[in-house]
Amino acid sequence: MNEDAVDPGTAAVGTQRDVDVIVVGGGPAGACAALVAARAGLSVVLLERGPFPGSKNMYGGVVYPRILDQLIPNWWEDAPIQRWVTRRSTMLLTATQALTVDFRADAWGKPPYNGATAYRPDFDNWLAGHAQAAGAQLITSTTAIGLLRSRAPKGNAKGHGTVVGVRTDRPDGDLTAHVVIACDGVNSFLAKEAGLYEHTDAKHFTLGVKETLALPKDVIDERFGVRGREGVDIEIIGCTGGVNGGGFLYTNLDTIAVGVVLKLTKLGSQQQRPEQIIATLKQHPAIAPLVQDGELKEYSAHLIPEAGLKMMPKMTTDGMLVAGDAAALCLAAGLWLEGVNFAMASGMYAGEAAVEAVQANDTSATGLAGYQRRLSDTFVLRDHRKLHRAPELVLSDRVQHLYPSMVANVVERMFRVDNPNPKPGVRRILNQERKRAGVRRRDLLRDGWTGFRSFG
Amino acid sequence: MIAVVVVRAGQLPAGGAEAVAECAGRAVLVGSGLVDAESESESESGAVAELAGIATELTLVELGDFHPAAWASALAPLLANEPAVLLPGSPDGRDLAPRLAALLHRPLFAGATGVGRQRIELARNGGRELHTVAPGPEFIATLQPGVRGVVADRRLGPPTIASVVTLADDERDPVVLEVQPPDPATIDLAEAPRIVGGGAGLDGPERIAQLERISSALGASMGATRVITDRGWVPHERQIGTTGVVVDPQLYLAFGVSGAVQHTSGLGNPDHIISVNTDQHCPMMQLADLAIVADANATLTALEALLAPAEHEGAA
Amino acid sequence: MDTVVACLKWVTHPGEPHDERFAGMSSADQSALEFALVQAAALGVGVTAVTVGPDAAEKVLRDALACGARRAIHIRGSGSAPSAEVAEAIAAAVPDAQWAWCGDYSLDRGTGSVPAFLAAALGAQQALGIISVAWQSPGLTATRRLDGGRRELLAVAAPAVVSVEGATAHLRRAGLAAVRAAAVAEIDGVQPSALGLGDEAVVRPYRPRSRALAAPAGDDPLDRLRALTDAGAAAATRGETVILEPVVAAARIESALRQWGYLA
Ligand SMILES: Cc1cc2nc3c(=O)[nH]c(=O)nc-3n(C[C@H](O)[C@H](O)[C@H](O)COP(=O)(O)OP(=O)(O)OC[C@H]3O[C@@H](n4cnc5c(N)ncnc54)[C@H](O)[C@@H]3O)c2cc1C
Ligand SMILES: Cc1cc2nc3c(=O)[nH]c(=O)nc-3n(C[C@H](O)[C@H](O)[C@H](O)COP(=O)(O)OP(=O)(O)OC[C@H]3O[C@@H](n4cnc5c(N)ncnc54)[C@H](O)[C@@H]3O)c2cc1C
Ligand SMILES: Nc1ncnc2c1ncn2[C@@H]1O[C@H](COP(=O)(O)O)[C@@H](O)[C@H]1O
Repeated sequence: MNEDAVDPGTAAVGTQRDVDVIVVGGGPAGACAALVAARAGLSVVLLERGPFPGSKNMYGGVVYPRILDQLIPNWWEDAPIQRWVTRRSTMLLTATQALTVDFRADAWGKPPYNGATAYRPDFDNWLAGHAQAAGAQLITSTTAIGLLRSRAPKGNAKGHGTVVGVRTDRPDGDLTAHVVIACDGVNSFLAKEAGLYEHTDAKHFTLGVKETLALPKDVIDERFGVRGREGVDIEIIGCTGGVNGGGFLYTNLDTIAVGVVLKLTKLGSQQQRPEQIIATLKQHPAIAPLVQDGELKEYSAHLIPEAGLKMMPKMTTDGMLVAGDAAALCLAAGLWLEGVNFAMASGMYAGEAAVEAVQANDTSATGLAGYQRRLSDTFVLRDHRKLHRAPELVLSDRVQHLYPSMVANVVERMFRVDNPNPKPGVRRILNQERKRAGVRRRDLLRDGWTGFRSFG
Repeated sequence: MIAVVVVRAGQLPAGGAEAVAECAGRAVLVGSGLVDAESESESESGAVAELAGIATELTLVELGDFHPAAWASALAPLLANEPAVLLPGSPDGRDLAPRLAALLHRPLFAGATGVGRQRIELARNGGRELHTVAPGPEFIATLQPGVRGVVADRRLGPPTIASVVTLADDERDPVVLEVQPPDPATIDLAEAPRIVGGGAGLDGPERIAQLERISSALGASMGATRVITDRGWVPHERQIGTTGVVVDPQLYLAFGVSGAVQHTSGLGNPDHIISVNTDQHCPMMQLADLAIVADANATLTALEALLAPAEHEGAA
Repeated sequence: MDTVVACLKWVTHPGEPHDERFAGMSSADQSALEFALVQAAALGVGVTAVTVGPDAAEKVLRDALACGARRAIHIRGSGSAPSAEVAEAIAAAVPDAQWAWCGDYSLDRGTGSVPAFLAAALGAQQALGIISVAWQSPGLTATRRLDGGRRELLAVAAPAVVSVEGATAHLRRAGLAAVRAAAVAEIDGVQPSALGLGDEAVVRPYRPRSRALAAPAGDDPLDRLRALTDAGAAAATRGETVILEPVVAAARIESALRQWGYLA
């Protein structure tokens, strides 16, 4: 609805706009964008389709709010967090074995902290509250259903004019602005309507599904070996059966989140239902004791933009920016599932760029170029560049289906004591297990190298 | 304690007998069809008959059409020396009780499930909670219909009866144009021997259509809880419960119904109850002969598929 | 002078009874507001939205303003104050109300008594538990729900309090500009003289009262006793509880119906 979305009334008035900035989406990206723009004194409207920010949002459960240091000093004093992650484990599972690398850092349990588990309805609502406090106007239960464009300048091939606002699902629902920041999440239809995505492809997405299970706090403390506000973050590989993906297990105060992230394409071909895969994971000998007797509180599912750089859209067009999952900025590299921090950072940079542009009175793509620059110079795109091969590697058939049993078997044989036989040498075990698993030495070396370049 | 029961054309309202029983048989019956105007004596009223074995001491007050403001002023003097007054929580009782409380300057305890001079139990928060309060010496209360039940004591003699006729008029009441019989659309429900009921557990209006198809396959009528009628998925005539249709089926199938008091007290005493609910512990599951913990929506789809052929046989 | 009033209570959503962030108007109050807006437009006056509640209750007033109410009055106090006090506080705030629209029951207290108290306090007519309204200027005719499925047709004239059931009218969706304006619109705050907190109550989860059961036929006291105890069991859990996959559940239902003879 490009051209017909043009409201001649507004499109005609060259520079008159209802507000300076419209932010679409009250998630972490949108809240930070609105916060920054409002703080700079711009008039900002933050649109959220749910009854309140975060009401409908789900994720695994761990946020890394470091970036907030720049926006909300001592954010940890009033942020609605569940537990501070002081233990981070990576689990390698086969049907019967488990290899766990477990790291514990006391410092992460003290200011300025590292990661925390939090409920999205609490966290997003809190963050949007700061945007409101800064002067942004939050409008809930309101969905952006299209972009408003100025008439395409003569001779503009694409026939797309500048973005001058959004149309909402309310009566007389058009709202104009100098800059629209699309933070409407994965599969952003605003970014698509603006033509910022060349193509979108099912294989670029994973499906995240999660169960929230209620358990008494003391039971959780005991099972996961934590105290008070300490929490655990477990990432799991090799637990998703025939479907490529990974799993996670996080502790909240009196609930735990257990879920899996699954490759969409495989999910289809394998004819498996996500809840079955979670059920199997919950039955694994290494997981079952942790989740036992948990009462199911909720089951939720959501798409994850997973392909990083491969799928990212153009971040900027005349009068519009894209941030967070809407710009595929979620870092989902298997061992990492970070999106909220990337969303907050990109939202913040989009806000800053919008401020620059509005103040300089040039909100064209050129005037908004500060956004792309900020993304490139910071962890947002640097991490994505560094890890651009990681998702593919972690989700590759070898890593998913061959390596776990190979590694597990190696370790099992190293630790197994079958006297009177002497202990075999590690190199020999490695070779035998590699052959047994049917892994070609070449592939192993290549994957090892990729892994080293990415994670190392 | 004394009960004040609004009688229409000599008929007791829902919960009328329960209110009288809760007051150990002392009651004021007020309304129409009670006292014969000429003879000033009791007319052949079904209400008094219905209370045989329950009422001990009755005062009949003929006031004609229901006019809450006027009636309150007419009754206030009669009740001045009655510290504790109980009305059934029927529509008329609900509307008259506050007017009495206001005139007599007494606290009102509405929607009680049990009333005593020392202790009153109130259903609150959509029937999820029971609030127990200690009333002062004087109060007005209304009793949820259907929660108590009554036993007629065959050995009890006929009640003493006093009759009063007064004219109560007050421009501060609406004019009653007519009293309409039960909406035909609800009769089938009120008298249905089999009922399929839906509650807030249902995830969309299309589930109602599904309920209807399953009902017809079972030769049952379809009803719903207030949450569903409030959502506008089902017309109000199909609301089962104290403020809806009071039913009395042999078979009740409940899909996604929690079984709040206002719903179940309008449910009669079915021989068989099947409840499908994700919450094993809600009242409806407690009441059920067969309590199935499952997603009601998926179950409906499966059940419809199962019954579809049966329906055709029936047709053929 | 505003003469049409909508009494709106801020209550938590039945689906999310423990999360105030989902709180707002009940479906019945939404119907009340819509009727008030339609009537006021016909009378050429504005609607005054009134609520008695905590600070958060302001939400229902802003929602009402966004939908077209002209004035909003926030009477600060506990929404759980006794119905009589709530009604008196409202009456004191809008003494000249000609038409006061209410929901039939609030979701939390749910006694439907505030509207009747309000009518008493305003010296107004009351038409409560209304399921349909026909405009009949200067007044209206309303259909009131009676028990046993009967209904009563009332001719109502101002001043009057009308309480309507949920979904009797569909509340209009507020326009975007109106929502933005309402967010910053002025709300008249009232500090009522005395608003109690409601009765001291011991709160427990609901359990059905054991019902008095008619003595069954058959004069053998033993039979009676047995019958009574069987029936008595109806109050407590009386059947089996099974956790089943939907498809199995459906099959289980079908076989039960056959076993009980409801299906041939
Ligand atoms: C299963 C799973 C587990 C995850 N685990 C983690 C984790 O542990 N840690 C982590 O950091 N990240 C995690 N992520 C990723 C993270 O959830 C996202 O990257 C992050 O939420 C992106 O934030 P956002 O603000 O860009 O988008 P969102 O959080 O999706 O917010 C978008 C907002 O826009 C609103 N909206 C959408 N469309 C419209 C519209 N048209 N009009 C108005 N409003 C609209 C939505 O209601 C929503 O509030 C996980 C994701 C999934 C699915
Ligand atoms: C004065 C007054 C009068 C009232 N009169 C009536 C009346 O006449 N009739 C009436 O019905 N109500 C009446 N009510 C409302 C009543 O109090 C309850 O709020 C209502 O009956 C609850 O309806 P429900 O069981 O559909 O909803 P809820 O109480 O919300 O219960 C929904 C149920 O569905 C279950 N569920 C949720 N999801 C699923 C799923 N996927 N599969 C299966 N189960 C699921 C939940 O566990 C829950 O048990 C009255 C209330 C008041 C205050
Ligand atoms: N605190 C309140 N503020 C405004 N209106 C109220 C309040 N309490 C009750 N009402 C009105 O009275 C109706 C019935 O409520 P109740 O008598 O509590 O069941 C509600 O639907 C409202 O319209």
